[in-house]
Amino acid sequence: MLSRTAADLYWMSRYLERAENMARMLDVSHSLSLMPQGGRGDGLEELAMPLLITGTLDAYLERHGELDAERILHFFALDADNPASLYSCLRAARANAHAVRGRITADVWENINATWLEMRHIAAQSPANFGASHFCEWVKERSHLFRGATEGTIMRGNAYRFIRLGTFIERADNTLRLLDARNQLMGDEPPGDSSARDYFQWSALLRALSAYEAHAALYRGSPRVAQVAELLLLRPEVPRSLRSCIGALSQILAEIPGNNGRPAQRMAAELEARLRFTGIEEVLEEGLQAWIHDYILLVRQLGSAVHSAYLEAV
Amino acid sequence: MKLAIHHGTTYRYADQVRASIQYLRLTPQDSPRQRVLDWALELPQSAHAQRDGHGNILHVLTLDEPHQAIVIKAHGHVEIDESCESESDPGSPLPYLCSTALTAADAALRTFARSVCGKSRDRAALIGLMERLYQHMPFTPGATRVETTAAQAFALGAGVCQDHTHVFLACVRSLGIPARYVSGYLCAAGSDQLVSHAWAEAWLEGAWYSFDVTNQLARPERHLKLAVGLDYLDACPVRGMCRGGGQEQMHAQLQVVPQQQEQAQEQ
Amino acid sequence: MVRSTYDEMYDVRGDCRAHYRTFARWLAATPAEQLEQRRREADLLFHRAGITFTLYGDDQGTERLIPFDTIPRSIPASEWRKIEQGCIQRVRALNMFLSDLYHDQRIVKAGIVPAEQVLANEGYQLAMQGIDLPHNLYAHIAGVDLVRDGDGTYYVLEDNLRTPSGVSYMLENRKMMMRLFPELFAGQRIAPVNHYPNLLLDTLKSSSLVDHPSVVVLTPGRYNSAYFEHAFLAREMGVELVEGADLFVRDERVYMRTTAGPQPVDVIYRRIDDAFLDPLAFNPDSMLGVPGLLAAYRKGNVVLANAIGTGVADDKSIYPYVPEMIRFYLDEEPILQNVPTWQCRKPAELSHVLANLEQLVVKETQGSGGYGMLVGPAASQAEIETFRARLKANPAAYIAQPTLSLSTCPTFVDSGIAPRHIDLRPFVLSGREVRLVPGGLTRVALREGSLVVNSSQGGGTKDTWVVEEPTVAAESREV
Repeated sequence: MLSRTAADLYWMSRYLERAENMARMLDVSHSLSLMPQGGRGDGLEELAMPLLITGTLDAYLERHGELDAERILHFFALDADNPASLYSCLRAARANAHAVRGRITADVWENINATWLEMRHIAAQSPANFGASHFCEWVKERSHLFRGATEGTIMRGNAYRFIRLGTFIERADNTLRLLDARNQLMGDEPPGDSSARDYFQWSALLRALSAYEAHAALYRGSPRVAQVAELLLLRPEVPRSLRSCIGALSQILAEIPGNNGRPAQRMAAELEARLRFTGIEEVLEEGLQAWIHDYILLVRQLGSAVHSAYLEAV
Repeated sequence: MKLAIHHGTTYRYADQVRASIQYLRLTPQDSPRQRVLDWALELPQSAHAQRDGHGNILHVLTLDEPHQAIVIKAHGHVEIDESCESESDPGSPLPYLCSTALTAADAALRTFARSVCGKSRDRAALIGLMERLYQHMPFTPGATRVETTAAQAFALGAGVCQDHTHVFLACVRSLGIPARYVSGYLCAAGSDQLVSHAWAEAWLEGAWYSFDVTNQLARPERHLKLAVGLDYLDACPVRGMCRGGGQEQMHAQLQVVPQQQEQAQEQ
Repeated sequence: MVRSTYDEMYDVRGDCRAHYRTFARWLAATPAEQLEQRRREADLLFHRAGITFTLYGDDQGTERLIPFDTIPRSIPASEWRKIEQGCIQRVRALNMFLSDLYHDQRIVKAGIVPAEQVLANEGYQLAMQGIDLPHNLYAHIAGVDLVRDGDGTYYVLEDNLRTPSGVSYMLENRKMMMRLFPELFAGQRIAPVNHYPNLLLDTLKSSSLVDHPSVVVLTPGRYNSAYFEHAFLAREMGVELVEGADLFVRDERVYMRTTAGPQPVDVIYRRIDDAFLDPLAFNPDSMLGVPGLLAAYRKGNVVLANAIGTGVADDKSIYPYVPEMIRFYLDEEPILQNVPTWQCRKPAELSHVLANLEQLVVKETQGSGGYGMLVGPAASQAEIETFRARLKANPAAYIAQPTLSLSTCPTFVDSGIAPRHIDLRPFVLSGREVRLVPGGLTRVALREGSLVVNSSQGGGTKDTWVVEEPTVAAESREV
């Protein structure tokens, strides 16, 4: 397969996964910001979280001056100039899909094209009318449909593999960043005396990553940092956990024919082994934040290795 | 006269370059005017030689390991016959009537050429053109850029040897005379100042005659020819592209030493 | 001025020509509503399949359909054989001309074509001097544009030797007709065209001296107006569709970047103009090409189809010499005629042209796409005067020809069925042998009276049939 084709497939699914993650993040921030903030006031911290996670705080402040719920929502939902917005992600995904129209099934193409057309339609109306939650739900649904169409119709070959690579690289990065941001926010609080707030915060994160039920099934009681971290980093049962994503990446990379991917294949296998044989107490001992930052870097390196092995292949 | 040449060019990139490819026209050929006694290129990797459509010797250098700089060195000895005024060529001169993006004559250039040369199309007319042209656009480093066209440079009234040559080619071709771009080295008379240089050749009475507008020379003196073409892009010593690497910087060191002088230095 | 026009379907007395009779009977017997419904179906199918050409990029939905007319253009097989022989003869001579031009220039030395006409031509590529191409082939794929004058004589209007396009419409039009009207194909013998992609792949493979050459189609990208055709041909041939950035040159060999590492490329069916092929040799700003490609090409390590520098042979200033080329290289008389042409660079011919501008078609020698031309009988006095001034200022840039009437073919229009002017572009493939599939692309000028068939100016297309005349053939065999 041409490297350019592989790159288009990979980025198509990365952008769609990014859109879904962004929708999850927005949904949670939005609903949390409406909650009583335990004496700290206006929920701005919560609202600003997507800006911090995506590194767009400065860009936002430059354009809009102050933090404002409505404007932040617009910034992430519809702003064509914000590369992290849902609008931009869906537009980019559609452009990638268009470039490889001949390589994906009509079902997949029509799903992505229809998503984009509807996005434009929504953008033409006022987003407020549509409802923030409703809008985020819609994006998630479109993403589920895309995955379903991919799973159900794409031939099991390189096209399928590169589509999935994009999904899991993006998802691994996202899970790490969300956990990191929430953990840092909690770290500012003196421990122990804010259990209600703890509860809201951790459950919001678990909900954002569709892991609330998994937590309830695997652990008893209110979510606490050790359990949440173990669940989202090390448990193979949770589809959005780091371990699941790296496991999938390692397996997909092993299936791609050719020798030029060896560095990437080796790296993914090593990462997977490290996760498999790491206990959460070791992570906490090292310091959760430092450990996560390490892994954000490692996932990025894996992304570069995939890039130089397959997507630009000189 | 015997010339000893040491030419080194270093391309530095701001960031590491992933891959690069260069067309090198850095090898002189024998002609009635110049006899190559010895010549060698030092390249970061071996490169095959071939002839391009103009008959120049072309090396294609491809580097696919990441690198931050490329060093290209050329050195050798060449015997110049200063009495030789013109050179013949087995190929037809007619393709050198075509203009290119860099050498297209606009109305101003056509008018200028006709006003200077009138109906005459001989060497004297072109020498007159060369002189008037230099008066119109004196040598002015920094006024133009590599991609400046003949018409733009003429309108500016300034330029370097590349611009002088382009403008001269545009005028001469507009008069119906085939003309071509020459790139090479020049050892200026009476000094040991040595430069990469460009001049023109026009086809008159069955042979190519040189016109060095920048130095107002209608016959080559210490000119060593490397390559010819329709314009700078065809004949330039190094033309390359790279993937990644940011801003490119070029450092050239040039030494074209008349042989006796070099011996004198050695003594 | 009244001119006679040749109609493909009806003779001067209004009787249906023999090779159209089966179709005419079918047309008369088919209810109008049914035809209308099938035409709507065709539009829908073309849209759904994305058989479009792009006007200004795709983002704002400017992909357009080229109008497809369901009344076919039909050519009797006996007539086709002459067209076929004529095209083969012509393309062979043009390839020999190109080879000669970039080598010994015998035709120049023989005084048949003036040296400055070819060597100082902008289409002449110095880059092609001194290299030998496999089988001496330059134009592997050629499109020969034919028109018919009032008496039905075929004339070659121009040769397209660079990157002729339109063959995908020939193939899709046939597919569509067979799908909509299968009964028409059951009732008579219509020569098939759908093996064209196989012939093309075979031609491309045989253009290389390598044993099992790897072939790619090189496109400028999906914003190019003919992108659909590039993708279509790559898919039909089962080869990769690449852009410049997918290829790279190392040690004077061309490779494509794939997920399994670099893969060598031996033959490039390129749909990019010469000037954009190699930014190190031609237009330095080109992002479409491959740096180093020319060096690999001159080394003989890759085949470009078509070769660089074929434009010199399809330039309008060279066109008048093609009949002489056929005599010079093949020692044959031309089977197909040239349109009589005045070369304005010759003073005597220029004055004839200037005196008769109202009746002539004046064309730029470097122009294409139907923009830089004057159609005298259809032009206003002001337009004629503009061209007169241009001709006087730069006569060598123009040729002139009599206004041909162009044959007509019945076509569906708003008011029903009416005659519209058409041309014909057969596609000639030169490999081990010179071949064409029976038929070609018929373009139709949809505006009443218009002679401009270009799709960029509102032209449509028709399926092109080569039909055996069964009764005549059977009778003659019995005699």
